[in-house]
Parts: sequence; structure tokens; C-alpha cells
Amino acid sequence: MARIFERRLTPLDSPLDIFATTSAAFLAAMLVTAFLFLSYGASPFQAYYALFHEPFATLRGFGYSLVRASPLALIALGTIVSWRSGFSYLGFEGCFVTGATATSWLALLTLPGTRIGPLPFFVFLPLAILTALAAGGVWAALVGLIRVRFGGNEVLISLMSNYVAILILQYLVSGPMRAPGSLPETLLLPRATWLPFILPGTRAHAGILIALAAAGLVWMLLQKMPLGYELIVTGFNPSAARYAGIGVPGRLVLAAFFAGGLGGLAGMVEVLGSQHRLMDGISGGVGFVGIVVALLARLNPLAVIPTALLYGGMSVGADAMQRRASIPSSITFILQSLAVLFVLALDALRYYKFNPSSLWRRTPPSVADGVSK
Amino acid sequence: MNGGQHMGSAFVVTWLSASLALAGPVLLAALGETFAEQSGVLNVGIEGTMLLGALASFLASYYTGMIWISLLFGVLIGIAANLFLAWMYVTVRASQVVTGLVFNVFALGIASTVYRRALGNSAVPESIAMFHPLHIPVLSNFPLIGPALFGQTVLFYLTLLLAFVAHFILFRTNFGLALRASGENPAAADSAGISVYRMRYAGTLISGAAAGMAGGYLVLAQVGLFRESIVSGQGFIALGIVIFGRWNPLKSAIAALVFGACDALQLSLQIFGTSVPPQLLLALPYVVTILAISGLFGGKAVQPAALMSPYVKE
Repeated sequence: MARIFERRLTPLDSPLDIFATTSAAFLAAMLVTAFLFLSYGASPFQAYYALFHEPFATLRGFGYSLVRASPLALIALGTIVSWRSGFSYLGFEGCFVTGATATSWLALLTLPGTRIGPLPFFVFLPLAILTALAAGGVWAALVGLIRVRFGGNEVLISLMSNYVAILILQYLVSGPMRAPGSLPETLLLPRATWLPFILPGTRAHAGILIALAAAGLVWMLLQKMPLGYELIVTGFNPSAARYAGIGVPGRLVLAAFFAGGLGGLAGMVEVLGSQHRLMDGISGGVGFVGIVVALLARLNPLAVIPTALLYGGMSVGADAMQRRASIPSSITFILQSLAVLFVLALDALRYYKFNPSSLWRRTPPSVADGVSK
Repeated sequence: MNGGQHMGSAFVVTWLSASLALAGPVLLAALGETFAEQSGVLNVGIEGTMLLGALASFLASYYTGMIWISLLFGVLIGIAANLFLAWMYVTVRASQVVTGLVFNVFALGIASTVYRRALGNSAVPESIAMFHPLHIPVLSNFPLIGPALFGQTVLFYLTLLLAFVAHFILFRTNFGLALRASGENPAAADSAGISVYRMRYAGTLISGAAAGMAGGYLVLAQVGLFRESIVSGQGFIALGIVIFGRWNPLKSAIAALVFGACDALQLSLQIFGTSVPPQLLLALPYVVTILAISGLFGGKAVQPAALMSPYVKE
């Protein structure tokens, strides 16, 4: 009897198949979420209109989508570098926070009358990028060192390190870096350190250009450069990499450094482009949503930008939806994570063939079936 | 001088009591996780499961006022959620870390949506029926350790009992042997007639039940209300405790106590007023967990050999 699901000899892995299964997963998630909208007595069509109209069909909303997409894209790129190198790093909340903190510290040093004093932007920006890269990179590389030196599990250690970074930030903004006032936050960063706004009439800032450049560089690194090839081999088959003479421990730490650096850059983009000050709770889960973006983009650096724009836009639309239709914005968390869960589940379709006919056509069992079972 | 001594003993009493109280829920979650990991599944989804369990228990207690029924609701939700997770881990064979992590985001979305749906946007959270600390006569009057050891809620003693039960099941029963075989060498277990899939489903469901109950524990015995940050990493800490406890329920109990002591230090130092910034003390349990699982003190050798590797029956 033919099985309902038959294993394919080779999985469907052309870009079109992957795009089709991913889209199907996203549509399935939208379908499930539509029932949630119904439970609020809202028409799913109107709810989805509210969710997508503001972020993608209005200029102002699109600007906000770009603002939200930039850190998401950078964290997703960090996820890609580390995961494809076989380093399951989950500490991007922490890298985001350390990058944001280091950048704010540097920017506050350029206040008039402080140690450094005002700097021209073309000097400040490279300095800020280096600082954020180093801060996030070292933070993640420490976890990499623990893994290669002592064999600790990077998944859990990086999850714990998030809380440590967030608590250090809380300490800094309620103590040493706190501005006079009631809220745990720093002074407003000097205007000269802000990322320039790029679309007139919107809040969109140059952070999206940094994210675009980073996506290009990560693609170059992984697809075109020997180092990237070594990283991928390290992730794919560490023992083969070792036989090929690749220094696996060093590559892992390097991958962790790159990944953390990108996470730190995301923090920099957020403080210099959008918040303009450091405050408690600045990360707000972006480190995890960034990972979700990378997964939905199937760890492909070029697919990250549109996916980040989709997810960033959805978070903008969710706020609009909450204002207009009083549907809680937390529903988008459900939609966003459900899409990836469906991607994971539907992946089975790329490996298995669905035989609906087997449901109604019974063929007599043959000897071969018995053997193959 | 005399006053100082009194202060010192009061500090020790509050610290010890709080240590045990805070160790309870994470220990419970860790005990369940031990079953999942011994069967070969790293269930990162217990963080989200705890949150769902906490919400279910809160709502049940809010509407019925019956605490044991509320706890049961937490357990049932935990099992239901982990039925899905087990399907993803075992049948679909998706990456365990990815599935668990994304499930946690999903659970956060569900919990905050359902909570707002149920209670509207009322700013003041309603108080609910809770478990109260027992005061075991005579014993709880013991100096220093009396109040800590014999003045906990009934859930604490239940959790302690479960640690022994878990240890017995894992190491003294056929079921425990089959479960550990599935996590150590699934192919060999399979050829010995053990259904690896069934064992892994069982391990994941047990961890779900325990995590759901741990969420209920948080709400019904500690906090008394629901908020989205109620779990805030305690599920992840339970994962650390499993490693720290070397996949052994009794050692996990000790590991949970160490964690509880670090966590409680912050609380009691704050009550007695110190100059140490509270945020840095709050970071202590996480730092201790990182050190404990870093491998600095060994431990790689006792990890279930097939942990995180999906099993394909040939």
C-alpha cells in the first residue's frame, strides 16, 4: 500500500521550492491568526489591512518600518554568520545592549566640555562603528571562548548572558550614566552624533543603509571569500574541517565575534538613529525577533533585508492596529513566530511526497513494501 | 552588640527561607527537563511552557478560586503545549533549539493576548487564591533553619518529594532505563525493542507537565498575580540547573538551592539595606549558572550522548 507520505530521493531544494514552502508557511500562519482576529469580532480582512497598510502604503509608516527593520536585519545577519559556522548563538539581546551602551558612552564623551569634545560626524561614525563592533563582538566571543576552551554549551550560556547584559545596563542607567530626572536613562545624545535622516518627512535614518551594506558584506564573506568557506565547512562538518587543516576553535571564536559585532551594530543603529539616548529596556526582545527573521529568511543574507522589512513593518502596523481596532499588538508575536514554526513543520514537505490518492485507492500490499518497511 | 547579633540571625533566617522558596519552581521545571534530556531531547520550550502554565493557573484561580484545580490547569496546559513540541522534536525532527526558542516567542504572544482578552485592560491586577506557607508545629520554631525548612508552602514539599520520585523512576525502573537508553544510544535502544519515539514523546510530555506546574507554582505560591515577565528566564535557569546537576534529580535539587541562595541574597540584602547595587546582585544567579555550565568544572562526559540529535528509524 502506498504511504500517504513517501520520502523523496532528493529533497526539493531549488530556490523556488524554498520560496514556495516559506510563503505557504507564512500564509498558513496568517490563516490561523485570522481566526484570532475573528475572536475579537474584527474582520480579518480589515485587521490585515490595518496591519499592512500603514507600514507599507504610507510614507510616514514606511519610514518607521525602515527604522524597525534596521536593527532586526543586523541581528539576523549576526545569526546567519554564527549559525552557519556551527555556533548556535542566542545572545543577541546582550550584544545589542552592549553595543548600544558602548556607543552611548562614546557619544556622551563628545558632549562639549567633556574629555573628547565635539567631533565631526565623519570622524565620529567610524569610531562609533568600531566601538559597537568591538563591544558586541567581545561580548559574544567570550561565549565562543568558553565553548572552545571548556566545552560549555553555547546555547544556554548565551541565553544567560542576555540577562547579565540587561542587568548591567539597568545598573548603568540608574547609576553612573543616569541623567538627572525620574527615568532610568542617559542624557540626550549630542545632535551631531545622530545618524542622518534619509527620507524627508519620515523618521527613516541611515541605519538601513548600514544594514544593507552589512548584508552585502556578509553575503560576500560567506559566498565569495575563503574565510567564509572555512566558516561554513566548520559549521557543516567540524571533523572534515579539521582534516582539511582549518583551525576549528579559532574559526568558531571568530564567527562569534562577527555575530556579536553585528548585534552590537544593531544596538548602535538603535541609539544613534532612533532613541538618541540609552535607556532601560531598550532591547525589548529585538534580539529574539532578529533570530526569527534570520530563520524565516532561511539563513540567506540577501533574503534578510526584505524579511526584516516585513517583520519591522508588521510591528509598526501592530501598533496602528491596536490604536484603531483595539486588537492587542501582541498578536503579531503569534503571527511572526507561527510563521517560523510552520516553516519548520512544512520543511517535511520538501523531503516527503504527499500522496493523497493513497487515502482512497488501496493497492494490495506487495513483498517489496514489507521489506522497505 | 546584642542587637547586631539579632540582626545577623534575622538576616540568615530570611535569606534561608527565601532561598528555599525561590529554588522550588526552578527545581520543579528542572526535574521535568531531566526526563526530556535523558530521552535525548533538549526542550528549550519550557520557558514558554512555564509562562503558559502560569497564565492557565492564574486564570483558573481567578475564575474558580480553587488552588489545586488551578495547579492542575497549569499541568494540563503544559502537557498540551508540549504535545505540539514533541511532535516537532520527534516526528518532524526539526532543530530542537530553534523550535523551542521560537515556541517561547509564540507562548509570549499567546500569553499576553489571552491575558488581555480575559481581563480587559484593567490596570489593577486582581488578587487570587494562593497557597500559604505551612507552619509545621514545633519544628518550625527551631532556631535559624526551623522557619526555612518547615515554613514553606505545601508545593515546596511536593517538589522535594518529586525529586526523589524522579530519581527513583529514572534510575530504578524499566521505564527510566528505556528512557535513558533512548538518549544515550537510540539505535541500540531501538534494536532492544524500545520505541525511541515513544520514549522521547514521554520525556517531552513529562517536562511539559512539570514546567506547566512550575508556572502554576510561581503564580499560586509566590507572586499571586500574572504578568508577562513572571518567568523571565527561570525556564532557561532550569536548563542550567539540569546541567549543573549532571542530569541527576537529587543533584539538581542541590543545584537549585545554590541558585535560590544567590537569588535570595539580593532580596535579603535589599531588605537589610546595603550599598551594593541591586542590579549587580540580581545578575549573580545568571553568572553562577554560566560558570556552572561553562564546562570549567567538567561535565561534558555525563551528558546524554544523543542529546539534540533527532532519531531516524532505519
